[in-house]
Amino acid sequence: MSLPLLALDHVCAGYGRGDIVHDVDLRAQAEHITTIIGPNGAGKSTLIKAIAGVVTRSAGSIRIGGEEIGGLPASEVARQGVAYVPQEANVFRSLTVMENLEMGAWILPEQKRERLDAVFTLFPTLAERRRTRAGNLSGGQRQMVAFGMALMVAPMLLLLDEPSAGLAPNMVEHMFETIQLVNQGGTAVLMVEQNAVQALQISHYGIVMAGGQVKLADRAAFLLDSEEVGELYLGAKG
Amino acid sequence: MGQSILNGLVSAALIAPPAVAFSMLFAILRFPNFAIGGYIAVGAFAAYAANLWLGLPLWLAALVGMAVAAVITWLSDVIVFRPMRGSSAVTLLVVSIALTLIIENAIRFIFGADVRGFDLPLTRPIKIAGLRITIEQIYILGITLGVAGGTHVLLAYTRIGKAMRATADNFALAEVRGINTGRVIAFTWLYCGALFGLTGVLAGLDLVIEPMVGWNLTIPIFAAAILGGIGSPYGAMLGAILVGLAEEFTTLILPSTYKVGVGFAIIAILLLLRPHGLLGTPEIKK
Repeated sequence: MSLPLLALDHVCAGYGRGDIVHDVDLRAQAEHITTIIGPNGAGKSTLIKAIAGVVTRSAGSIRIGGEEIGGLPASEVARQGVAYVPQEANVFRSLTVMENLEMGAWILPEQKRERLDAVFTLFPTLAERRRTRAGNLSGGQRQMVAFGMALMVAPMLLLLDEPSAGLAPNMVEHMFETIQLVNQGGTAVLMVEQNAVQALQISHYGIVMAGGQVKLADRAAFLLDSEEVGELYLGAKG
Repeated sequence: MGQSILNGLVSAALIAPPAVAFSMLFAILRFPNFAIGGYIAVGAFAAYAANLWLGLPLWLAALVGMAVAAVITWLSDVIVFRPMRGSSAVTLLVVSIALTLIIENAIRFIFGADVRGFDLPLTRPIKIAGLRITIEQIYILGITLGVAGGTHVLLAYTRIGKAMRATADNFALAEVRGINTGRVIAFTWLYCGALFGLTGVLAGLDLVIEPMVGWNLTIPIFAAAILGGIGSPYGAMLGAILVGLAEEFTTLILPSTYKVGVGFAIIAILLLLRPHGLLGTPEIKK
């Protein structure tokens, strides 16, 4: 295997009153979709926020392509080619769709036109609704704006926190297809998902977290077949 | 009737720019900054000093007043408010009132408490279609229209203006998208400070220059900002027009000393009927 794009070593992170993530080692390859699954409160979101610089990591190292990004503020992590899509409050509600996408391109304004075409090809609905305020869109359309905003910088690594949360079943499918398309375009994806089976089906690699620690990390196909994982985390009936 | 509308619009023109600035600061920093009275007085006295002491023409002195007020307003963030980020809105409100007292008294210490005016030739009011208006009032109306248009262009079409709206809308997301929120906030203080400074100059034209010049405008400015929906610059413009007209029309039925009370009455009625203002959005709490 090639050098991993993202490498975490002994990472601890939390919100000030004690750590939620304990001593996590993690690797994500540049060409992969990597999914983190696990029960509620496992620390999945906290971990992804720590990578994005939204939550400060209290110990350990986070490297992107060999460069240390642990400890950088979120706005600096974004400039290192990492685009994070939060689960909630992930659009500027009072700005139009177009303005949201422009804010997405904040750090790379010269690429705006070209990236806008790419995002509108991926989400034709957004092109139609470009003058609508994001707050007036449906939940699914808002998720497209959030996703599209992150893609405006052609990131190396896309961090998605529960991309399918709150979407209608047919929209969930569409969201996962889009994630695959983006990945085929050369963007590495690291996501947290409750919809574990569907997410693992499109993933190359899976990571199981529980109690703030990594319990298991393997090829996604292996995790889907594993009886232990199925019973504990995928809701399969024994 | 026509004269009352005209006078009301002049009052509105005086409080609209600072109401917009007050609202913009609130939108990003989430506390009502009552130091605006001090900032306005700084603008008035800096322009006065440039006009009378340095002998600059009034338009140039006005720019000096705006620049000095912008810098003082920004410095108030650097020295006072930035170290207190994260404090509750009520704490910051009390601090801002203390700050306005400090600024006013510093001005009183330097300039004394005398009532002053710019070096302007006395002119007669002009009569247009039976309405009296002074040349200064025409300037105030024109400049405020320019400020309203300029602020709209800034917020709707410029890169920094859109970033200001984005930062006000969702601070954490703005950071995540790589926006340098520190610089956006600094720009907002400077821009709003310049508007407060301008207000000091305009108030000096229409009224008089004294250390309380800003304090006396604070309640109508606050009323206009919350009437429009605090945090909404466009609402503040609308709110200013309504407050200005309301103040003038009460003088038709009540002695003009009650004019000051109109702002309070508007605030009280509004908070009972529509707490988020005319154009504001109710804050979602969950």
